[in-house]
Amino acid sequence: MAPRIQSRRVSNALLPYLTSPSSSPSVLSIPSLSSSSQYLSRQFSATAAPQTKLRRQMFEWLSTSGAVLKHHTPGQTNYLRNFLNDEGGGDRPFPSNPTFTSENILSEELRNEIYVLVVEKKKSVRAVSVQLGVDMKRIAAVVRLVELEKRQRAQGKPIALPYARSVHEMVPTTPLAQDGERQQFHEPINDLPAHPTTGPQIFYPVPESRSFTRVDAGRVFSGAPSLEREVAEKITHPSDLAEKAIENPNSIEWVGKGDNARQVLQPADVRIPHPQLVKLELDRAAHPEERREVGKRHAERMERQEKAEQERRERAAARREKSIKHVEPEGGRFDYRFSDAVFTAETTGKDGRAPWASGRRYGVPTNDRKRGVVKIPTRVEA
Amino acid sequence: MRNRASTSLAKAKIRQSWSKYNLYNMQRFRNPGTVNRTFFQQKWTAKALSRAYHGEQVREGQWKRMFSKRIRSVIPMNTNDLAADDGSKASAGRGSGLEKAEKGITKRLTPYTQMAFAPLERRLDVAIFRSLFASSTRQARQFVIHGAVTVNGHKMRHPSYLLNPGDLFQVDPERVMFATGAPKTKFERRETRQLKQKAEETEAETEEAKEAVEQEDKAENTKDTLKALMAQAKNIMSKDKDVLPAKRKQELRGFQKAVRRVLSRSETSTVLTDNLETQFSELTLLLKAKRAEKAPKESKKDKKGSTEEKAVVEESEGASDALSEAFKSAAQGGEVDTSELSDEEFDVLKRALTQMRDNPIDNSKTYATPWRPRDFMSAFAFIPRYLEVNQNICAAVYLRHPVARPGSAEVPTPFGEAVSTPAYGWYLKRRW
Repeated sequence: MAPRIQSRRVSNALLPYLTSPSSSPSVLSIPSLSSSSQYLSRQFSATAAPQTKLRRQMFEWLSTSGAVLKHHTPGQTNYLRNFLNDEGGGDRPFPSNPTFTSENILSEELRNEIYVLVVEKKKSVRAVSVQLGVDMKRIAAVVRLVELEKRQRAQGKPIALPYARSVHEMVPTTPLAQDGERQQFHEPINDLPAHPTTGPQIFYPVPESRSFTRVDAGRVFSGAPSLEREVAEKITHPSDLAEKAIENPNSIEWVGKGDNARQVLQPADVRIPHPQLVKLELDRAAHPEERREVGKRHAERMERQEKAEQERRERAAARREKSIKHVEPEGGRFDYRFSDAVFTAETTGKDGRAPWASGRRYGVPTNDRKRGVVKIPTRVEA
Repeated sequence: MRNRASTSLAKAKIRQSWSKYNLYNMQRFRNPGTVNRTFFQQKWTAKALSRAYHGEQVREGQWKRMFSKRIRSVIPMNTNDLAADDGSKASAGRGSGLEKAEKGITKRLTPYTQMAFAPLERRLDVAIFRSLFASSTRQARQFVIHGAVTVNGHKMRHPSYLLNPGDLFQVDPERVMFATGAPKTKFERRETRQLKQKAEETEAETEEAKEAVEQEDKAENTKDTLKALMAQAKNIMSKDKDVLPAKRKQELRGFQKAVRRVLSRSETSTVLTDNLETQFSELTLLLKAKRAEKAPKESKKDKKGSTEEKAVVEESEGASDALSEAFKSAAQGGEVDTSELSDEEFDVLKRALTQMRDNPIDNSKTYATPWRPRDFMSAFAFIPRYLEVNQNICAAVYLRHPVARPGSAEVPTPFGEAVSTPAYGWYLKRRW
């Protein structure tokens, strides 16, 4: 957009050629170019300034130091620099916010590689995550998105290729390693979420002679009594709990009653997304000579855990399926599914009239068409 | 909802927008002063500044209900460290470990208050803006309201829908190209109008005429595209004899435009960054094979006089036009007869044609074609980690809620802690 020219409020009869519309664009474009001399030259002029000072400064900046931001150089970020101390640039889009950095996105090749590994080579999401250094949630999302892209291409739907190309030129990307290279990790994969119960500081006196581990700390934070000595002695390292928790998540102990019931806070070794890697590191440290054996044991462990997880998933699905009755009328297009209504305190409330309970109940109004009740959906089923 | 989000220069506010006014305001932003100001005043200013950026489209009361003082954070764990120590080393002695931490390592603090506006990042309109599908949150909001956005495959018309982790949202690619592409020039808009008029006229005509046109098109598709390309080289030779300087200037400008048009189709977008010479050299690379064959008399590398250069410039002007014409007809569909071409030429043409297919000249679009990013887009181009975006289909997945980690916060905000901390304090139930 060209600099806007303000309409002249004051028209000077002595200068008709200045106010005539035919000559205005050529005449008015001159003062905006020479900003410094402008004030001196029109001290006695009665015509309004064609530009405010701020606008003039802005366009001056945009044409000088801001001009580099107009177009990007492929493969490089092009962010505002911190002009005060002339640093920044690089990967920080906001000069006054040093804590936000523009982080890498997956390159097109890496994205396709993930899809190939997961869908075509049937590798587990967990294994691919460790191999490429990409978060497991991201891998799932990539598979979904690539699948969708393939479908849309097959259907001949419009695809924004030039847009995608230039975004990948502007934003830093993680490339796929060439043959023989080491794959650059995309992001940290073992992020431990800070649990809200670890917020408050707790003064907990412990004898100096006792070894106070992460397992004990988790119990203190969740207010559970300390472990029995026999149980505690069996745990040589907090990661021992991980395998048990993966194979049977219900084995985690509960404390508290009623609304206050909570599971005992598990050590970081259990709560990180890839707990199996701790065990691998321990094994490596114990047997530094037998790398192959260590790898083999790790693979076995992984297989066992995946199998257990798979079984659990199947069992849950079977249980769900068992409670649903399918009815498919002959010649009909629909599959009707009936599940028995369960009347417990959780599903319908203590008095059976809780607003979240399903169905129409006497004396319980439905609020779904009322004024003032928020009707924006809170979730969309995929 | 009325748009109150002005980008004025006098009362500069930073907005969620790619406007150049906003860029300028961002560039001249300085932290508000604290000298001689009460703590209340400092918090008020900080709140006003950050609310102008974060959820300016959300009413204050609505935002207050969304605000949560609990901030999500993560600590990246190193499995080596976890394996080496079961925690007893860190808690040995009087509770803080027997060995002092090494002096060289400075602990990076987690910028919690930078996450004060994290709940707003869940909103659909903000997430669309963050995935670079719209040039401002207001525009993203309009896309949602106009029904161009789906969430998990269902049309979603509420910009305030709060995304859940794992939600997949998709914007109509045409809208995205419009929002992020350069706008049309007035000449292009005129061409669009003419195209529309022509379409209306042809509708009025009988169907016989239509058939005739179709036949003509077919004939063009097969052979004439290339023939025109080859013939153009000869025409150019006779062109550069007597040209007035003003005319030359005009042609130069036209040439620059033509080069831009052709080059913006190539994979690299050097077209926008480099000067005329580099653009030209790239174009000559594209056309090298043809030039060597058709115009051996005029070798460019012997002399470097300005007149010579200009002649070359004109030569390629015609060529580029012819090329783009050829591309155009080829992109509209149909095969190109390749028997007359050498392998090298064929390769060049094939590459150019695929590029053309990806980014065609099409005046019926709402943005300038061939598509190129709008000015100053790169200064705002970043994608936060909590989103996984597929630009090809303009779809993204909201992976998880944004988190803070030591040294960095995932909520994109132009303000430092000097602003975000007092703003966070403002919204606490028990104010600081």
